[in-house]
Amino acid sequence: MKGYQWALVFVGLVLGLMLAFQFRVTTEIKAAEPVQRAQILTAEVSQLKENRDAMQAQVDSLRSSLDLISAGPRDAELKEELDRARILAGVTELYGPGVEVTLNDSNITIKPGENPNLYVLHDEDVLRVLNELRAAGAEALSINGQRILANTELRCTGPTIVVNKNKRLAPPYVITAIGNPDTLESSLKMKGGVAETLQFWGIQVVVKKAPQVTIPAYSGGLKYEYAIIG
Amino acid sequence: MKKTTKFNKSTYASITLVALLTGMLMVFQFRATSSIARGIPTDRVQELTIEKKQVERDLANLVEEADDLAAKLEEAGKGRTEAAVVLESELTKVKLYAGLTQMVGPGVEVVLDNPPGATGHGSSPGLFNVRDEDLLKVINDLRGAGAEVIAVNDQRILATSEVRLAGNHININLARLSPPYKIHAIGNAGVLKSSLEIRGGLVEYLSANGIIINVQTSDSIIVPAYTGGLRFDYSKHALR
Repeated sequence: MKGYQWALVFVGLVLGLMLAFQFRVTTEIKAAEPVQRAQILTAEVSQLKENRDAMQAQVDSLRSSLDLISAGPRDAELKEELDRARILAGVTELYGPGVEVTLNDSNITIKPGENPNLYVLHDEDVLRVLNELRAAGAEALSINGQRILANTELRCTGPTIVVNKNKRLAPPYVITAIGNPDTLESSLKMKGGVAETLQFWGIQVVVKKAPQVTIPAYSGGLKYEYAIIG
Repeated sequence: MKKTTKFNKSTYASITLVALLTGMLMVFQFRATSSIARGIPTDRVQELTIEKKQVERDLANLVEEADDLAAKLEEAGKGRTEAAVVLESELTKVKLYAGLTQMVGPGVEVVLDNPPGATGHGSSPGLFNVRDEDLLKVINDLRGAGAEVIAVNDQRILATSEVRLAGNHININLARLSPPYKIHAIGNAGVLKSSLEIRGGLVEYLSANGIIINVQTSDSIIVPAYTGGLRFDYSKHALR
């Protein structure tokens, strides 16, 4: 055989191998059902979220039309009481003076052999910051746009924190609080306070006072499945 | 010489064809491979399923809330007396979620107490006493396990409740509490109990520190209403 014939044989072989490989990869993709399932689920979840947000808007507008009705002599008293209860229940958007606290993972370069976990923000740290703000008289709190309710939990899952059952937050965590800005700021910044302790581990705590912050309403329905009026 | 030229032409043609085919194969191959990389990792499926379920629950609750509000608005349109009744019932509902109503239901009672004999740990008595952080962690775990309402020594935990060490006491809602600390939580009793008693969980951690911790389930846990004053000097409603 001549040289060019050998070349053709070689090219043929390579082509054949490539075809076989191609075929196998394509079948593999078809077999990857979990990927498809995840894609369908993602689409469903985003659709549901759209519906939820639309419903939330409707509930908000119904609430404000309820505020417009007049109820005779006890009207003012009832509405004032309702307003206070709504702040605590977290069902309305609020604004007022307050602080914005930004927490971020450590910027210290970890030496080999050191436990990197020590330099990462934990749910406990965020809990402590929230607790200090509450003690300093915070009237309403949110973290990364999620309203903090009486039964809001904070859970570390890998590098993210989950609040309100399914809302996954990633650092940096921005905690917004309404209250006296000076009191709120000093509660965190005082000597031996939370900010100092966290800064020891290189965790970045930035407290910013603001004349007006906005705290969103809890997004989602409220319902007790177990508790009844006692 | 002539023969060679003719032969070269057909060689060129076949080589061109082969090169074209190879190129197309490679492009196709590349696209297939990159679409695999863009796909969602399979371990996300569980996460997404749970998220979907939660959003569905949120949506159902919101629909119920919207229906309730619409019915109230219609009723309020009838007259002033009806409007007063409607506002009253809306207030009752919001108070429920604000923590201003006593609640009852199944759940757990968690009792935490200081280690017996405060000097038991040597030179530093009180070092292993129940601290605010311990209570915060227990409360947070209970919330995570789906506790709907919680109280510590009959102080209702609100969205604004602090848990703070003050000397030998712990302050909640500015009220001074002393040990033993009794936490009452309403929710799925089994889930609440196991969330604390799970291996490596808080019961194991706290008892290793000498703290006495005991979790009891009950069918009728009572969580009292918040009774202190309510003052909001800074917050304003946005929807006005």
